[in-house]
Amino acid sequence: MQPTNLRRAGLFALLLSFIVILSWEIHLRNQGNEISYDDNEAMWANKRAMVYEPSDKAVVFIGSSRMKFDLDIPTWESITGKHAIQLANVGSDPVPYLMDLADDKNFKGKIICGVTEELFFSDFSPADVANDKKINYFKKITPTQRFSFLVNKFLESHLVFLDQERYSINAMLDELPIPLRHGVYRDLVFPDDFGKVNFDRQSYMTRKFVADTSLQNMVKNNWIRLGKEMIGPPPSPGKLDSFMHTIKLATDKIKARGGEVLFVRNPSSGPMLDGEQHGFPRAQYFDKLLTVTGCPGIFYSDYPGLSNFVCPEWSHLKPTDAVIYTRELIKVLEKDKGWAFNK
Amino acid sequence: MLFNSYTFIVFFIIVLILHNLPFSWKTKKINLLFASYIFYAAWNPPFILLLWLSTIVDFFVGKALYTQENKHKKKLLLVISLIGNLGMLCFFKYGGFVLENFTYLVNAFGFNYHPAKPNIILPAGISFYTFTTLCYTIDMYKKESKPVESFLNFSLFVTFFPHLVAGPIVRPPQLVPQFESPRNASAEQLFQGLFLLTLGLFMKVFLADGMLSGPANTVFGATDPLQSLDAWMGVLAFSGQIFFDFAGYSLCAIGAALCLGFVLPNNFLYPYAAIGFTDFWRRWHITLSSWLRDYLYIPLGGNRAGKFRTYINLMITMLLGGLWHGANWTFVVWGALHGFYLWVEKAYRDMKKVKSSTVFPSEKGKPEGYFPPEKNHQKNLTNFTLALGTFLLVNVTWVFFRSSTFTSAWRILHSMFINNAKNAPLLKTMDIYKVAIIIPLLIITHWMMRNTKALSVAGKTPWWLLGVSWSAMIVLIMLSQNASSAFIYFQF
Repeated sequence: MQPTNLRRAGLFALLLSFIVILSWEIHLRNQGNEISYDDNEAMWANKRAMVYEPSDKAVVFIGSSRMKFDLDIPTWESITGKHAIQLANVGSDPVPYLMDLADDKNFKGKIICGVTEELFFSDFSPADVANDKKINYFKKITPTQRFSFLVNKFLESHLVFLDQERYSINAMLDELPIPLRHGVYRDLVFPDDFGKVNFDRQSYMTRKFVADTSLQNMVKNNWIRLGKEMIGPPPSPGKLDSFMHTIKLATDKIKARGGEVLFVRNPSSGPMLDGEQHGFPRAQYFDKLLTVTGCPGIFYSDYPGLSNFVCPEWSHLKPTDAVIYTRELIKVLEKDKGWAFNK
Repeated sequence: MLFNSYTFIVFFIIVLILHNLPFSWKTKKINLLFASYIFYAAWNPPFILLLWLSTIVDFFVGKALYTQENKHKKKLLLVISLIGNLGMLCFFKYGGFVLENFTYLVNAFGFNYHPAKPNIILPAGISFYTFTTLCYTIDMYKKESKPVESFLNFSLFVTFFPHLVAGPIVRPPQLVPQFESPRNASAEQLFQGLFLLTLGLFMKVFLADGMLSGPANTVFGATDPLQSLDAWMGVLAFSGQIFFDFAGYSLCAIGAALCLGFVLPNNFLYPYAAIGFTDFWRRWHITLSSWLRDYLYIPLGGNRAGKFRTYINLMITMLLGGLWHGANWTFVVWGALHGFYLWVEKAYRDMKKVKSSTVFPSEKGKPEGYFPPEKNHQKNLTNFTLALGTFLLVNVTWVFFRSSTFTSAWRILHSMFINNAKNAPLLKTMDIYKVAIIIPLLIITHWMMRNTKALSVAGKTPWWLLGVSWSAMIVLIMLSQNASSAFIYFQF
């Protein structure tokens, strides 16, 4: 090879790569795609590190996807003047996170814990492995991972194509219409417009999703499938008592350090709500949780301001409703639960 | 710090700039040493103390070993060095394993002994830098090379960031002379280095993590018996993953060093085109197998003490080589299987009186060039079939390497060779496509390239075609978007 050839090839490769990536980015933007952050363990660990902020300056939110969709963080922060640290995770049982915070002696803050009964009280939690991964990642984070996160945040803030869930090679290959082998488990596929994520880890539906009932039906069908295939029967009374006791121990630890835990049941609608009411009657589950732990709680249907919402896909609020819901939730916290906000 | 991380990109750009500024050579070396410590500390800062300890002890003990004439004192110094290096390795890597086996044993004899499980974190790359420093002191003991005069050069030899965490395992004569006079990469070397760095990252990020880790993890994580198709696809996927992961790391290391003007030894030479296991071990993790040859096999007597001892020495070397990879009996069985394959091959070669009949020739020498893979095989169908047979047998060994328990290993082996259509299918069609496309391409590429090197082929390729291929690798790396996952060999 002539000495200049490798240089020429390298420079050509650089130019070509730049053109291909730029074209891909422009194409995605022209299709109306928005910036969405990878809600991975690095992102979670970044928020987890913030929980040591004083309790008069921040509130930690744990729970499942409802907490991520239903709490509008800009609204919360502008009204309360408190930082909202979003640690909730989709498809996830928040108990491991509650335990993690309870065992962390340096944590003395306030927690609002979302309760989605079928995830909170049963053994079913599709994101259990991811939960452990996130907590371990935070505990073992290295300086290089912290720095890479900052670089990644900068890049993800400017490039639409950096969205692992949607535009990575594997995500795109998975969307090819290739029939599955008979008997192989078919993953749940959620439309791209259902769950965008911003840097505060707030999830939201796009306007397209809110307007498009066929996309909403896709998600509804997923909930039906989950209900049929995965969610097992509610726990036996003995198991439930033991579970409640575990939660009590965790909340007691937090309260003993001056912290506070408040449980919230966010809205759901339609057959999803019917199933939840049938499978996990409030008196035996949510109310009992409050009684056993001695923690305050908010059940959305107890408050007119929180109960008039219809979830487009039965389980989560649309962004405009999340703003109203958050405002109303803050009112309840102030008037009914005695929370003071330094507005 | 991982090569496949944004931190490394920023770090490497700064190192490259500093290395090309008009500083004195000593300042540049101090920069490289400081950068290497940052590279290591970015993973877990306290463990840098171990690295310093190892460097200081071996520098002074090495010098004393070389100059000491009193045999008893010399042996004592060697023992100090061996205890220091191997003791550290044993404590961090094998402490838990030894305790677990000891507990099992005493309980088997009726004692009720249940100690708390030790929570020992394995320092990254300890197996690699321990071998690097160990070979230095052993060489000093045997006076096989001269002691390194400069502490700076010795520290840089031990710590130089491209090879520090996962090799290639370098010997002092390979690297120390390169620190003695000023070195800067020529423009050609810089682009060669960048090409190797891209190729290594492509192998790691796109092929190992993006395409093959999924099916491999699914199959090896399964708890139920599998269909043969799933078992084979999972094992083949792991064969590809481990190669792309580790060879990818080695290429990144060689490429990064080349960008700075330093040459590191090759670590992989298309091992899946190996014809037989002697050839395989001359192509797979070359710097480890040559280390084992020089510092274990030969001191054990090599092939100089008769046929029986040769077989025994071969097996001991492979068993310990297996254990080096991890503190688990599955790694020992992996080594034993390779030892057994080598026995069979050696017996066949002895019977047929074929030359070069051992994977570990008794003459000590340098890993590359002196320890060449067998190139005299013609590329014909028979040899290709033999290479394919070797590859298939290697796959069986990977089952033990990847499985965390023997139960899991037996389940996969059973599923591979005895199909039960009643078992639930596991892998998705796309996963099967990935393996079915990548693995044959991998084998064909190795076969085509078995007697050449990537840079030689790149040199013969028209610039525009090379540019397009290079660009395709860059784009696929970017589109893979895998979160930086550690290289498999970091855990060793």
